Amino acid sequence: MFSRGFIRKLATSTKSTPKITDILIVGGGPAGLTLATGIQESPILSKYNVTLVDGNDLLNKVGDFYYDPPSYFTNRVVSVTPQSMKFLTEKLKVALLQDRIQPYDGLYVNDGITDAFLEIEREEMLYMIEILNIQSSLLHKLTTNSINSRVNIFDNCKVKSITSSVKGDPTSWPLVELANGEIYKTRLLVGADGFNSPVRNFAGLYSRGWKYDTWGLVATLKLDPQSLPIYKLRGWQRFLPTGPLAHLPLPGDNASMVWSTGGNEMSSILMEMDSKLFVKMVNAGFILTTTDIQYYLDAFKKGTLTTEQIIEDIDDRINQVYSSFKDETQIDEKFPPLVVDVVPGTRARFPLKFSHADSYVTDRVALVGDAAHTTHPLVGQGLNMGQHDIEQLLNCLERATLRGQDIGSVLSLEPYWANSYGFNNIRLGMADKLHKLYHTDFTPVVAMRSLGLNIVNQLNPVKNLIADIMTGR
Amino acid sequence: MISGFHCISKQPLNRIAGGRILGSKVVGKRTLILEAAMMAMASKYIFGGEARLADKMGNGELYNKNEDYKQLQKEKQLQRLKNLKNSRPMEPNYEGHIPLWPSEKLFLFLVSGIRSFYHPENGINIVQLGESTAIKPVLDHLHHTMLADPIGRRILKDKPEVKENTLHMETLANYPKNTFGYQFYTWCKRENVTPDTRAPIKYIDDPTHAFIFKRYRQCHDFYHALNNVPIIIEGEITIKALEGVNLGIPMALLGTLFAPWRLTKIQRERLFDIYLPWAVNSGLKCKPLINVYWEDLLDKDVNEVRKQIGLFPPPDLRTIRDQRRKELKDLNEKYKNLKEEYN
Ligand SMILES: Cc1cc2nc3c(=O)[nH]c(=O)nc-3n(C[C@H](O)[C@H](O)[C@H](O)COP(=O)(O)OP(=O)(O)OC[C@H]3O[C@@H](n4cnc5c(N)ncnc54)[C@H](O)[C@@H]3O)c2cc1C
Repeated sequence: MFSRGFIRKLATSTKSTPKITDILIVGGGPAGLTLATGIQESPILSKYNVTLVDGNDLLNKVGDFYYDPPSYFTNRVVSVTPQSMKFLTEKLKVALLQDRIQPYDGLYVNDGITDAFLEIEREEMLYMIEILNIQSSLLHKLTTNSINSRVNIFDNCKVKSITSSVKGDPTSWPLVELANGEIYKTRLLVGADGFNSPVRNFAGLYSRGWKYDTWGLVATLKLDPQSLPIYKLRGWQRFLPTGPLAHLPLPGDNASMVWSTGGNEMSSILMEMDSKLFVKMVNAGFILTTTDIQYYLDAFKKGTLTTEQIIEDIDDRINQVYSSFKDETQIDEKFPPLVVDVVPGTRARFPLKFSHADSYVTDRVALVGDAAHTTHPLVGQGLNMGQHDIEQLLNCLERATLRGQDIGSVLSLEPYWANSYGFNNIRLGMADKLHKLYHTDFTPVVAMRSLGLNIVNQLNPVKNLIADIMTGR
Repeated sequence: MISGFHCISKQPLNRIAGGRILGSKVVGKRTLILEAAMMAMASKYIFGGEARLADKMGNGELYNKNEDYKQLQKEKQLQRLKNLKNSRPMEPNYEGHIPLWPSEKLFLFLVSGIRSFYHPENGINIVQLGESTAIKPVLDHLHHTMLADPIGRRILKDKPEVKENTLHMETLANYPKNTFGYQFYTWCKRENVTPDTRAPIKYIDDPTHAFIFKRYRQCHDFYHALNNVPIIIEGEITIKALEGVNLGIPMALLGTLFAPWRLTKIQRERLFDIYLPWAVNSGLKCKPLINVYWEDLLDKDVNEVRKQIGLFPPPDLRTIRDQRRKELKDLNEKYKNLKEEYN
């Protein structure tokens, strides 16, 4: 992204004198904003001068969400663990928009080919929350406590280049040039700048990873009013050979979905569909066989059936499946509530990636959040890992400060990496292995994994262990 | 039950004295009791009805007009039905369903397998073997084959029955000669079968699976008729092989593997030279036969139907047999003539 020649040229052509800051955070996503708030709220760290830079319109667009939230639920929704929740609301004293948060009590995971399933129940084990709720609540906290705050936010402003102030000396303070021409010289540079992290590239921290050739399709769904109140508030995930399909509860008659779809084609077909058909496909995705789903996708692609015909067929087949249950309560036990609509404009897709940096720290640089690790959303850990990173980094900075160390030195930063790498590695590994295990319909693998899932479902200690990992304990 | 055993095996006196205990007392030794019990279990299937009747006669139950006694009988019967129901692994899932435990399914497979080998002409053996080998993965596979095809889906939805009255057999006789319907009608007449002779499904647990297997069973005659294959054993083996290859039905494959051992040399040669190669070839090439809506094709030209499915008939078996018979006869005649001349 930043070719060396390009960086050098920019560095030598600047004329303005650098401003000094203690900590410069690149990125105002959930990770960057949480870190800034954490520093501001810490009695030990609040003396530091913090500069947060983001290329997007944070203060107006994101910030306004807090004061004037839309009537619908936005599509970037994350699953947050009680641990992360406690950190945000108790330690950082952030007042989230509570009525837009949905706690839920369990998970129902099943295999789309064999219907082997795993059921985990634990009261309020996880929370569904919009990323914008988190971001805007943090911004609210940062901007309303501004009297003593030493945090400055520059939005709509991209980082143009990063260089060492003393060429060839990695321990020298980095120089960060912004798009508006200003230059910052910082004691500690934090990369909270997402998957394509410019900070990571500058620091030369090697990140292993790959694209999954899979797209995550997200949307906010409207549930059948007849299904209210919802029988069991839980997250549903069905592993289809094309990738997992997840249904996650939101307040009232809302739900959020992520459908990981192998290859480019399936996700673009699903994006293209009329919303009436799309919601039927989501229902089909949970209730019907993988053969049915493929049949509908093909019929739509080739135009052998009209949208109305496909809708009718899906309804018929769902009724067939429903009526095969002798005990009707089993329907609510096995399938999520039916979806009747999708909120306009909330259907979107993004490519799924896996990456993990070998190290999160080096002289004067630390990485947090997606800059350090990106994961498949199938175990719902993306945001939580970022929150865990920040908790660890704050501890580490506090300790270094109390000991009078330079917070930009590797010595100070190393414990942060040591305390978070393992935690993240387990979760990243879990997501990656699950993705690979379920991204096949090869019979022996299907048989083994179904057997495994069924066995795990009978073993409470193992189930508890999984629940512990998923809820961040 | 044990008294039933005695009734047929040794002294009818024991039975008249009545009761299980006496029966085993007479036999005396433990091993013998066990043996007797096993024999009795087996004999229940064969002689259960008669034995019970004999028991009743022995107990003077048959002609007892006592009202109270009738009531008692009724209660007993209800109790027996309830016991029978409680002995099943599940409630029946559809009309005529007889839920079996896995061990019973295995037993059914073994018994019907052996009996089918020795008595393939008895339809019930083949029917039971078919159902006991129609295991879930096979039926799931067929279900998915149907779900992947528009016509297969329509069949699953409509759940059509192949019966004399649903096909309107009498009207088929008046169809134009080139139609598949007429061909089917004449084939049925020639082979002296009707679509109503197909046995119902009993032992498959899932109702959808039961329908699929019934459909497979009911369409069997269409395969015969379209290909003009008679129901004599060679013809059956040929069609079984076609089904086995095309649909992956285990019983059909088993039949193809084992049945030829019971044929004469000349029959076997015909089978291996002409009919099995045809069946394998056709089975692989034509569309899945479970996805053919035969009822829709009755008024179509038979050659059109063949083209649509991709299935074309083998050399006519009856003609070949007749030819061979004629050849034999001619040879015999010649031989006789020669003999006479020589004499
Ligand atoms: C389209 C999309 C949809 C997603 N949907 C879901 C979902 O439904 N559920 C889920 O669990 N997760 C989802 N994720 C993942 C989730 O958003 C991330 O895990 C989470 O946002 C990570 O937070 P972060 O703060 O580390 O990084 P980001 O949220 O990626 O924040 C990085 C920030 O850095 C800024 N930045 C980057 N480069 C520069 C630069 N050169 N100069 C200035 N600023 C810069 C960006 O503007 C951005 O604001 C989605 C991700 C994407 C991209």
